[in-house]
Parts: sequence; C-alpha cells; structure tokens
Amino acid sequence: MRNDIELDAIIEDYLQGKLTAAEAEAFDKLRANDPVIDHKVVAHKVFMDAIKQYGKVLSLKEQMDRAHAGIDVASLSEQLKPHPSFIVNMWRKNKSAMAIAASFILLTIFSIYSIQHNTLQNGTYEVMRREITNIKNNQNKLVRTINSSPKVEKGHVNAAKFGGTGFALTANGYLCTNYHVVRDADSVYVQNNKGESFKVKVVYRDPQYDIAILKIIDESFTPLSAIPYKLKKNSIGMGENVYTLGYPKDDAVLGEGYISSKTGHVGDTTQYQVSIPINPGNSGGPLLDNYGNIIGVITAKENQVDGATFAIKSKYILEALSAIPQDSLGKKVVFAKKNPLQGLNRTKQIDRIENYVYMIKVYN
Amino acid sequence: MSNKLSDSVPTDREVVLGILNNSEDALNKLYVGYFPMILQFIINNNGDEDDAKDVYQEAIIILYNKIKSGDFELSSKLKTYIYSVCRRIWLKKLAQQSKKTNNVADFEDVVSVEVDLEYHEEKDLQFEKMGAALENLGEPCKTIIQDFYINNLSMQDICEKFGYTNTDNAKTQKYKCLQRLKKLFFQS
Repeated sequence: MRNDIELDAIIEDYLQGKLTAAEAEAFDKLRANDPVIDHKVVAHKVFMDAIKQYGKVLSLKEQMDRAHAGIDVASLSEQLKPHPSFIVNMWRKNKSAMAIAASFILLTIFSIYSIQHNTLQNGTYEVMRREITNIKNNQNKLVRTINSSPKVEKGHVNAAKFGGTGFALTANGYLCTNYHVVRDADSVYVQNNKGESFKVKVVYRDPQYDIAILKIIDESFTPLSAIPYKLKKNSIGMGENVYTLGYPKDDAVLGEGYISSKTGHVGDTTQYQVSIPINPGNSGGPLLDNYGNIIGVITAKENQVDGATFAIKSKYILEALSAIPQDSLGKKVVFAKKNPLQGLNRTKQIDRIENYVYMIKVYN
Repeated sequence: MSNKLSDSVPTDREVVLGILNNSEDALNKLYVGYFPMILQFIINNNGDEDDAKDVYQEAIIILYNKIKSGDFELSSKLKTYIYSVCRRIWLKKLAQQSKKTNNVADFEDVVSVEVDLEYHEEKDLQFEKMGAALENLGEPCKTIIQDFYINNLSMQDICEKFGYTNTDNAKTQKYKCLQRLKKLFFQS
C-alpha cells in the first residue's frame, strides 16, 4: 500500500518532469524492465491529460457562461426569431433569389425604356415649308394690298402654293434653300425684304441632304453688293448661340436659340439639333452664329418634342456647290474670306443680312 | 441581418492572439460578437435559445482547442468557421432527434469542418466520461481530486482544507480516490 502510494507519487513527478536527471534515468530503466510499471505510467499519462483537458473545458465553459449572462438573449431572439408573417419569412429565406429577380426586372425595364427612348424620334419629323393655299381665302385682303402696291408690279401676283426661306450664296444671284421647299415646283419665285419678286431656276437638287441651289434668272435683278456673311466649313460646338432669319409670315422673322446637339433627327450626323422656335415657312433659312457665319440651313423640327429644330450643317452646302457642274454654275461661286459681320452687334448684323434672305414662293 | 454583428466584433487576428495569450477579454468579445449569428440560425431552424447556447459553446470550445493546439491556420474567416461548425453540430442534433434536416435556412457561407468535428467528438466523449466518473466518485474524493489536479492546490492546502491531521493521511486519501476514479474512468 505504502509502496503503491510512493510509486504513484514518483510517476506523477516523473510525468511532470519534477525528478532530477539521475532519478529520471533510474526511473526510465525501471520502466524498461518492468512492463507493469510502464503500463501504469502510460495509463496515468492518459488520465492526467484527460483530467487536465476536463479542467480546461470546465473553466472555459464557466467563462462562456459569464459572457453569456451579459447578453440580452430574450430581446435578441425576439429580433431574430422567425417572423409570424409568412411573407416576411419568405422574404428572409429567399432574399438573394428575390434580389436577383428584382435586378433582372429592373434591367428589363431599363432596356425596354431605353429602346423606346431611342425610337422616340421616329416619324415625328416635320419639314417646315408653309402651305399657303390653306389660308389663301383668308388672305384676300393681303393679296389686294400687294396688288395695289406699286413695288410689286413685276412680281407674280397670284398667291403661292408653298413658301419657304432662302439666302444668297453669291452676289450674282445664287441662292440656297431646302430641297423639300422646291420639290414638285412648276415655277419658283423669290421675294426680298423690299417686296420685290424675281423668278428663279432650280439649278441643283440634293434630296439626300435636303439642299437645293437656285439661280435668279429674272431680268429685273441687279447683282447684289458683296455677301456679308461667310460659310463656316467646320462644325461648331454645343451651346453656341445661333439665330435665324425666315419668312413664316410675309415679313422676315428673327428666331434665336442655341445648338443643343451635334446630331440631328435620330442621330443624323449631317444635321445639328437646335433649340430655336421656328414655324412653317422657316425651311431653308440660314442659321448664323454670333459672328455672322452661316453654320447651317434650317430644315425641320420635331413635332412631339419641344424646341428640337434641325439644321443641315453648312459643310453640305459647300458639297452641294462643288457638285454643281461648272457650266451650270456659270461664274464660280465665291465667298468672302474676311467676315465683315464679325464684331457687329446682333441688330447691325441683321440689318446687313436681311437684304440677302429671301422668301421663296413655289407654284405648282 | 448580419450587419447587426458588425459592432463590437473583434478582428480575427485579435481573437487568435488573445486566445493564445489566455486573454479573457478576447474570448468574451468573441463570444458576445458572434452569438447573435448562431442564435438566429438555431431559432430559425427548429431550435430555442438553450440549444443555441449549447451549440455555440461547443463550437467555441472547438475553435479554442484548435487555436491552442498551435497548428491553427486561418483558411476562412472566423465567422464562417464558427457558423459552419455550429451548422454541422446542429444538423447532427436535429438528425438525432429525427427532425427533418433538409431545407435548412442558412444565413452565412459554410466551409467544411468535418475533420475538426471528428476530433472534437473524441475529446468530448472523454470529457463526458470524466464528468460522469467524477460524479460517481462522490464527496470528498471529487473535491480533493479537482483541487489537486484541476485547481493545482498543494497537498498542504488540501490537508488544511479538509482537516487531515498530516499530509500523509491526505496523500493516502487522495491516492485511494484517484485509484477509484481511474477505475471508473477507464471502465466506463
């Protein structure tokens, strides 16, 4: 009994490394020689490990219980427990699936919206020539005044069927207007701001860019003084202030606005979109920038969108001019190198330009 | 929902270093930090608060032992690890109670923890055995053994605490207790 207790104590000390080197060596020998003692050592080691581990886990559990006591479990579980409502549960369980579904729906809506948005401009393109016959009867009085006017004795006295605007390209009587203004025309006359009418011939038609070049062939026409404005070859930027002069009625009307887009109807790169108020009769009118350069030709507007007017870029006037055969052009069209309007204020500019903008009257 | 956990949760590194250095504070923070996640998981899957506590504590013990064993490598976030362990334990418990275990409502990512759990089960069995053996041992043996082996009291202290006339008596008593305990432990 006593020996067993002593042996046990020695084994314990041995396992804990408390024996001196000599004692440990002696004990190792004893272990090697006596399998019973060796077995006791191994068993004791297993047991000691187990009880140490037991102690550790126990203290860990105690510590966790202390931490647990600090948590307000009741209110937490109130927050986190399954919601009595079926819908909320459904939401919590299928959150990710629903999120995916929702984003898919959103994406679909956006794509449909953008497709519709892209096609919004379809079929709402409205050219701005004036149908005069519709109001002919109402304008008898006006026609009479014109008839009695001494200035128009040489002019065509019948009311025109269509009206538009055009502007002089050269001093010898070349004018520019829209193709759609003079389309189907039997005869075309132009009238200047003093009310004088001249017969013109259509010398060039370009349906693609909607440009027509006219030449005054009337005998009463005396060549103009030098053209005050200049054709701009390069395109200009968005936001540039522009104005136009046109004949939506029988007197010239000024319209003022700005370039709102570098492309026209459905992204047409041959046109600008201009925010400018125009009316039937403005078609073919010159679009000028602040410096008096012609940057385009008013051609149409979007009838379902506010303030969307389209103007053909001036570059295409130059192309049209260069496409005219030399013999039909007669004398080469020339442009002022220096722009005499630059630096003048708007009123002065208009004063000069007015004489070069014509009302186009089309009969068929 | 997991964003409720974001405050007061220590970083993974803090926890590992804290546990390696026996920091009680780190363990507390860890415990408090991730408990709501497990509570949510358990009470949404046929369990109650007590189940959550048991499962969670088991998972923390597993993590603790793993860190203490020294070969711990962070292959995933601690949060994911704890969640995965709890999930595995709880599924096992549900299976034992023959409740349906399909269609578990998950709240976090899951990593594989089978190896760690197997190892833990072995240890846990030993723990249970030791607990049972100590219970069967009866007083005063249980307290003497606990004081000596777990609380690391000296024979002198035990002698005074239990009123033995000398340490030899105490040693004899301890020896007898230990023999009985060993018998109980190894036989069960």
